[in-house]
Amino acid sequence: MSLEILAYPFLFLGLYFEVFMLLTFLSGPAKERRKRIAGGSTPKVAIIVPCWNEQDTIDGTVRSLLAMDYPKDRLQIILVNDGSTDNTKEVMDSYIGNPQITVVHKENGGKHTAINKGIEIAKDAEFVGCLDADSFVAPDALREMIPCFDRPEVAAATPAMSVFQPKNLLEQMQNAEYIIGIAARHALSAVNGIYVTPGPFSFYRRSVIEELGGFRHAHQAEDMEMALRIQRAGYEIENAPRSRVYTKVPRQVGKLIKQRTRWTTGFLRNVMTDYRDLVGNPKYGILGLMVLPLGFVAIVGGAFLFIVAMVSLILNILKTHALTEGIPLSYTLLPRFSADWFYVPVTFLLVTSLVVGILSVSLVLIGRHVSNTPAEIVLGIIGYSFIYAFIAPFWLMRSMYDVLTGKRRAWR
Amino acid sequence: MSLGTRNALLALAITVAIIGTIVAAIHQLDRQRIAELDAIQSQLATDTLSVETQFALLENAPCADLTVGTDLTSEVSSLGDRLGVAESRLGSDNPEVLRLKKQYTLLQIRDYILAQRIAKTCDIEPVTALYFYSNEAGTCESCDRASYALSFLRQTYPQLRVYSFDYNLDLGALKTLIAVEKVEPKFPAFVIEGKHSYGFTDVESFQKLFPKELFATSTATSTKKK
Repeated sequence: MSLEILAYPFLFLGLYFEVFMLLTFLSGPAKERRKRIAGGSTPKVAIIVPCWNEQDTIDGTVRSLLAMDYPKDRLQIILVNDGSTDNTKEVMDSYIGNPQITVVHKENGGKHTAINKGIEIAKDAEFVGCLDADSFVAPDALREMIPCFDRPEVAAATPAMSVFQPKNLLEQMQNAEYIIGIAARHALSAVNGIYVTPGPFSFYRRSVIEELGGFRHAHQAEDMEMALRIQRAGYEIENAPRSRVYTKVPRQVGKLIKQRTRWTTGFLRNVMTDYRDLVGNPKYGILGLMVLPLGFVAIVGGAFLFIVAMVSLILNILKTHALTEGIPLSYTLLPRFSADWFYVPVTFLLVTSLVVGILSVSLVLIGRHVSNTPAEIVLGIIGYSFIYAFIAPFWLMRSMYDVLTGKRRAWR
Repeated sequence: MSLGTRNALLALAITVAIIGTIVAAIHQLDRQRIAELDAIQSQLATDTLSVETQFALLENAPCADLTVGTDLTSEVSSLGDRLGVAESRLGSDNPEVLRLKKQYTLLQIRDYILAQRIAKTCDIEPVTALYFYSNEAGTCESCDRASYALSFLRQTYPQLRVYSFDYNLDLGALKTLIAVEKVEPKFPAFVIEGKHSYGFTDVESFQKLFPKELFATSTATSTKKK
């Protein structure tokens, strides 16, 4: 038993959340959302692409936007250069003259200022979308997105985000994680539980943005803060599960930890300060009673369990060392495997972890299925299941350290 | 009731049901482990009786078949391994484990007596070690190390017969064995080739307690020098 008992509450909550997601996925409202047909309605739309040193990817991003199946006179693309110091300006300027594209250069002021600048320009758009300059959209992404706004209470909608051409194992693992995110956002949209409108291709009703005010710095998590502000104002956030967008992700562990530290500290700082009133508040339904509290528990619990596991591992190593001192390694390290069922170490921790793992894999498959995301995910699932747990605690612990000490880090 | 509330309650019920099913399944598996141990114990009891009967039948030529009892010893050893797993799963104070442990201890003592008889009658000399440990907290810091060292020696030198006893087990036959062998309550305690020793420091010193022949030969038994 020992220290493993500490994992039980977190396993229970993890299992509970997964069961909730699957139930909601199977519910009528989620089914109705899946049945939504990419509409013929083509309201006036503006897509803002905030850029800071994106010389290598901005061209591909703009080309994917231009290739979208949407009337050209109904779609405005606004490229905002937020004081880039590389060749981004030159690449952007090559689009000057395209009637669909507006190019703006400004002093560096942060991503939120670039988006606000774009919103300011998109005066006659009914909906404004954002697209990070390292992301690429599918041709039908916008047509899939628009029907989400059929009901007036919907203020924002999120896409189906996955990784752009995942190659190495780290990218594949993130792809599996992003595809779980597709399933999660799709299910949560049925109960208005979405707490973040991600940078790649989330859309907003412009009138609501005007009502609530523009984007804020929000501890480097402007997309999360806007989503929470929309929720607090009583609006809904929808999801378009087949509005596919592919985004570039960190290819090195160090960069991934840096990115996720930013996301996690953004979550903690927003939820613990400005939006504390939402947590545990029945007025905000599943978002307040389940999503935000469990998000907090996942961060603290993930770091805590990792520390417990490491302490347990070190104690075991010391114990084994003391136990086997003087015994030849050829005996100690000899693998002892028995096919006899009697010796199979079937424990509560093992079986419950297995069930949680199976449900996670189900969510990956569901996410891929509902979004029609073309992805080879076997390697990603394996990596996500067995390696991610050893990387994630580092950004969780780093984030908690930053929040507790008030340390602020640069975006990149 | 809203969809969120309904699903939250339903998810709670399903999660509790899943956890309950897992707990029940593991409990059932443990029951089956106990049942298997029980079955093995019963079989071994029969086997012991059979060996003793064989030994009696072969009274006129008791050493004609020296393999008598060898299988029994290895089965008793295998049962010990399984009992160890059950003990770590269910706890050393589990009533079922305690009951099986007592039966296992009895089997070990009978096997030990039988081995002694065969050795005496057939003029062979197996290397035998009696090992007494204590599960009571704070009474034996080095028992785990001693157990591991004995497992290593037993696996490396198959001719070594090790009998492990929980000194504090409430069993008449064990108390008699302790009295007969004059084992003091100092742990770990060993009776190796009739000599007593207490405590465990390291494997090297521990090996010196065994006859040198053990490490020089790999045969199952050695013949007494005449």
